Amino acid sequence: MRRSVKEIEQEQPSENPVSDGLTATASEASGSSAIHVWPEANRNGRMGAALLRIRSWGIPIAILAVLVGAWELWVQLGDVPKWQLPAPSAVAVELLDSRALLWDHTLVTLQEVALGFLAALAAGVIVAALITYSRVLESSIYPIVIASQTVPVIAIAPLLLIWVGYGIEPKIIIVALISFYPIAVNTVDGMKSVDPDMVRMMRTLGASRWQIFSKLQVPTSLPFMFSGIKIGISVSVIAAVIGEWVGASEGLGYLITYSQPLFLTARVFAAIVLLSIMGISLFVLASVLERVMIPWYHTEKKSKSSGRI
Amino acid sequence: MVEKSPLQLTKQPTKHPTIFADSIYKSYMVDGRREPVLAGVNLTVNPGELVTIIGPSGCGKSTLLNIIAGLDQPDSGTVELDGDAGRNRLGSIGYMQQKDLLLPWRSVLDNAALGLEIQGVPRRQARQKALELTGLFGLAGFEHQYPFALSGGMRQRAAFLRTMLLGQDVVLLDEPFGALDALTRVQMQEWLMDLWNTLKKTIVLITHDVEEAILLSDRVYVLSTRPAKIKLMMEIDLPRPRSFGNVTDPDFIELKTRLLTLLHQESPQMSVG
Repeated sequence: MRRSVKEIEQEQPSENPVSDGLTATASEASGSSAIHVWPEANRNGRMGAALLRIRSWGIPIAILAVLVGAWELWVQLGDVPKWQLPAPSAVAVELLDSRALLWDHTLVTLQEVALGFLAALAAGVIVAALITYSRVLESSIYPIVIASQTVPVIAIAPLLLIWVGYGIEPKIIIVALISFYPIAVNTVDGMKSVDPDMVRMMRTLGASRWQIFSKLQVPTSLPFMFSGIKIGISVSVIAAVIGEWVGASEGLGYLITYSQPLFLTARVFAAIVLLSIMGISLFVLASVLERVMIPWYHTEKKSKSSGRI
Repeated sequence: MVEKSPLQLTKQPTKHPTIFADSIYKSYMVDGRREPVLAGVNLTVNPGELVTIIGPSGCGKSTLLNIIAGLDQPDSGTVELDGDAGRNRLGSIGYMQQKDLLLPWRSVLDNAALGLEIQGVPRRQARQKALELTGLFGLAGFEHQYPFALSGGMRQRAAFLRTMLLGQDVVLLDEPFGALDALTRVQMQEWLMDLWNTLKKTIVLITHDVEEAILLSDRVYVLSTRPAKIKLMMEIDLPRPRSFGNVTDPDFIELKTRLLTLLHQESPQMSVG
């Protein structure tokens, strides 16, 4: 009996589709063969994975380069005035020349985004937990959450200035208001997505309501929560700019409103570029955090899609 | 009332059956109608037995197991665990469902330790206890793997380990090998008998596989179609230890034929056109 169980074990290592080196030979083999094999077929090899990443980044960068190149040509050849549409080269020069100024304003906007987003994250997760925990709370809170999104923030923003003042606070509130919704809704969906059979299993182990919540619902909701986070963090940057537009003395949004009437269009574009970079970097940061916190979710999906189970 | 002789009175009192289900009735509301599922099911499981419940699809086998495990309450009737009908059975009876239901974010070891953790055992101690049994469950070397990296049979064994670790004397198994391929299933059946022998549990198993029922059990209960009641209880008096090779023995085949005939009578006939 023992022997037949051991035989099963010995077969496993060669069948296992585990991505990162269960056995050295498995990953070596897939690594070396990836050079000769079309990368798609070999996502699990290290070489194959790297090639795939280069390919996937290369295409959007190439497209971007083509668009920027066309833009440059259009401005140069069409003799477009620089206050109307600056050439990419002019924007680059501005980024370099005014880097100290731009950096100071970037930090201000970044601060608004970070603080507002963290507030939204905390509120979103707490509200989601409350909604999932009690049906009474769900029917009372959820409609308010949805209604909060239908009010146009642009209408609220000036009111906030009157109530809270011209400092950083109204911007943080606006960022929080806008990014709260995707986080809350996605996290609620995540908590509700828990498999009822899993709940039954926990109950047969004698789990209390709290244990089912903390040991099952919370981890189940994490992938959904991160979807909400990625959406929320992207709109946070826009929210910060809206907050600054309505009334500010610092920040990239402020810089745009200040520079436009002065026809410093290159500076406006420079600020826009920086805002883009901020948004993309924050999104990437969230994705990295996601892979760190829920490694099982992605490796599970990866091994399923490789079709080797 | 049977008179007990003086000799009998000095003996140990008869032990209660481990599980005694008495006149279990259960129905569900479906589309506003009351659908009866169980209509007066009586079941007894004695200490150390391996009993199988078999019946046509959808007849309420899982519902019955849910009630025995304490997940659901019957509309009427009682379930006694070791003679106690009022006791909260949830958490006192091991229950393994057809899906392995391993938590994907926990390693095999942490999944196995889950039950103990819930009971309040500190994580390190729980892991230690789980580690002691990984060899017996054929999971040695895979303690730190995640469920997605394991094959179906291994995941089922990991779920078994989790169920068994709580040390409950009674274990309910709902078609535990249903999701496995035929080869793995045979290995798992023999492994289960070995485990049952070693750990001396009382096991109630649901299956739709007649061979599995006869191979594994001491007694087989046949459930009728809905509204379900026990149609028949068959004693399997084949000698132990049994192995897959017994499947071709004449005694085995006779029992199998009888059981299949009974089940065929119970299943609704399918007609064409």
